[in-house]
Amino acid sequence: MSETVTKLESYAEEVGTKVTALRKNENIVEVPQDKLKTFVAHVVNDLHIRHLMTITGLDLGENLGITYHFSLERDTIHVRSFVPKTKPVAVSIVDIVPGAILYEMELHDMFGIEFAGNPWKDQKLLLPDDWPADLPPPLLKTSKADQIRKRLGLEVEKK
Amino acid sequence: MSTSPEQQRREESAGLMEYSTESLVPFGPIHPALKEPEYFKLVLEGERIVNVIPRIGYVHRGLEKAAESRPWVQNMYMFERTCGICSFVHSLCYGQAVEELTLFQVPKRAKYIRTIIAEMERIHSHLLWVGLMGHWAGFDTLFMWVWNDREVVLDLVEAISGNRVHKSMNAFCGVRRDMPENMKDRIVERMKFLTDRARYYREVIDTEETMLVRTENIGRVSQDTAEKLCAVGPMARYVGLRQDVRLNDPYAAYDEVPLDIVTTTEGDVHALLRLRLDELVASANIVSYAVENLPDGPIRVKVPPVIPAGEHSSHCEAPRGEIFYYVKSSGGRTPERVKSRQPTMANLPTALEMLKGQTLADIPIVLTAIDPCFGCMDRMSFYDTETNRRWTWSGEELRQYGVNHYFPDRSKKQRGFTKAIDSSINRRQRESI
Amino acid sequence: MPEMFRLMLEKPTTEAYPFKPIQLTERFRGKLDIDPAKCTGCQVCALVCPAAVITMVDLGTRKVGDRELKVRRPLFDLASCISCGECVDNCAFNALQLTKQFEIATPNKTDLLMNKAVVK
Repeated sequence: MSETVTKLESYAEEVGTKVTALRKNENIVEVPQDKLKTFVAHVVNDLHIRHLMTITGLDLGENLGITYHFSLERDTIHVRSFVPKTKPVAVSIVDIVPGAILYEMELHDMFGIEFAGNPWKDQKLLLPDDWPADLPPPLLKTSKADQIRKRLGLEVEKK
Repeated sequence: MSTSPEQQRREESAGLMEYSTESLVPFGPIHPALKEPEYFKLVLEGERIVNVIPRIGYVHRGLEKAAESRPWVQNMYMFERTCGICSFVHSLCYGQAVEELTLFQVPKRAKYIRTIIAEMERIHSHLLWVGLMGHWAGFDTLFMWVWNDREVVLDLVEAISGNRVHKSMNAFCGVRRDMPENMKDRIVERMKFLTDRARYYREVIDTEETMLVRTENIGRVSQDTAEKLCAVGPMARYVGLRQDVRLNDPYAAYDEVPLDIVTTTEGDVHALLRLRLDELVASANIVSYAVENLPDGPIRVKVPPVIPAGEHSSHCEAPRGEIFYYVKSSGGRTPERVKSRQPTMANLPTALEMLKGQTLADIPIVLTAIDPCFGCMDRMSFYDTETNRRWTWSGEELRQYGVNHYFPDRSKKQRGFTKAIDSSINRRQRESI
Repeated sequence: MPEMFRLMLEKPTTEAYPFKPIQLTERFRGKLDIDPAKCTGCQVCALVCPAAVITMVDLGTRKVGDRELKVRRPLFDLASCISCGECVDNCAFNALQLTKQFEIATPNKTDLLMNKAVVK
């Protein structure tokens, strides 16, 4: 629906970015962290796109990308924001979209991103309780599977 | 702020619980006997549940990390094994996300075959679920009869794909095997048989005292809560939200087959039973239509092993809800990032809201009603705030407790058996205080 | 009530396996088999296998004209095989096929190493 995309473009201009179209009814908007909450509030409240599918983390070298995937009928909108690896603290959207709480906890475990404002931001979700504190989060490109296996004491017997 | 000692104790107990884990990759039971590990902590007031803290993640296999070091086609087989019951939809969703990056078109015949297999999988999953509900409600006859009928659809799937569970039918831009010849009449006749059976089971759950007592007015959630917590699949449809990926964003051949989306307005577990059985009938209808109107043509377009750079996502309607896959390629032989989100993860906050206010005996019913892809209760730990008592039950003990609670006047022989379990529960309770 | 009569008159669902043979469909995917005469050692099967079942074993060299070419043949570890059929689909010489054999459980892992192509 181009109407949604037109409105989205106007919101994107407000925060100083633009909408890029991917193939097949998918659009991606890159929003800086400080404008993220206003943008998401626009998307959820004004465009009535209330269904958040999930939140994905990406390891982009120097930064970590956090992508929110919203869907409304045939349109899919990806909202991406970046945090530097040296200071991975992000803004939480739990007060706008309560369903985002578990996805943010998962990102915290897998990428080490702290979501300020999430009521359970210090809880472990997927990692075991005895995850060594000096082992980097698993889904970063620098973490290798055999390194994790060795540290957790789960050696695989070679044939 | 002055608080009474009781209030203090309650707050202490709530603080004790840490809301912790959740499974990145919840997977489904392939066999009914294989119960999956997860762990719930329930805060009770007498018999009512006040708060639930799940702790899952026991079957987290690191599939997303593993996908980054495997070629594209091999990932399809790996993601198929995320779940036993929705295996085809997982490989379909991943395939669709990658196909959009390749610029090749999927042939029409392949789309129809994908629709047929996906709907057969839905029929299988719903039959399995109805049987499990019967089992947890204490109505094992329903369980046995429904699983007998499930063999019908499993035999059909084996005749088409060669395997009952992991069908391995999907490939990029097509399907790997064509429909066998002369199967059309057999499929249509079996679908008619399953429709009649589903209608019969619908009568059973509407009139049978066992099912009515255990499922009516249990597990209510408001429509607004379900929408805010991003519920998907039957969990959204049973409170009246008309949310279905096949309707809202059709994929495969769903824009050409007769689609009948079922929603109910009374949001209790009995409504979920009716909803899934009606969906079964609708799926059987789709399969019959698709098999009769199967277009001719190729079933596959060969795709090179290197996928062009870009990113894309795709979502599909699995039997349990919406599956979402996001794929990012940097132009190589292996993906750069694959994200897969299963429906149970999206439904988990809603499920926890469903549990609040229910009694202890209703836990198995409510937790099975969301059709969890992490299986049945393996270990449950209870904390009673009034008497400060903790104890642990296994899944079978909890089920027996529920059955005794609702049907205390079963036959003497059965009672003797349940007495043995009761006494073992009592002994364990005494030991744990 | 009528349900009970229907079920009594129908044939039983439970099959008496293993005392009677089980009915398999035509497309059933069981254990993998190779025809060593057709295999040329092109190693496509090893490259496409999702479960890393196939390893290529060096069997020396052979002379073609004035060049020395390596001779390799596949070794299958059928304990890890998932019977998906990727190797069968991709073999250009039709050397592989999936049989209907599924009773392959054994206490010895080495029983499941299929080395028909490797042994001269």
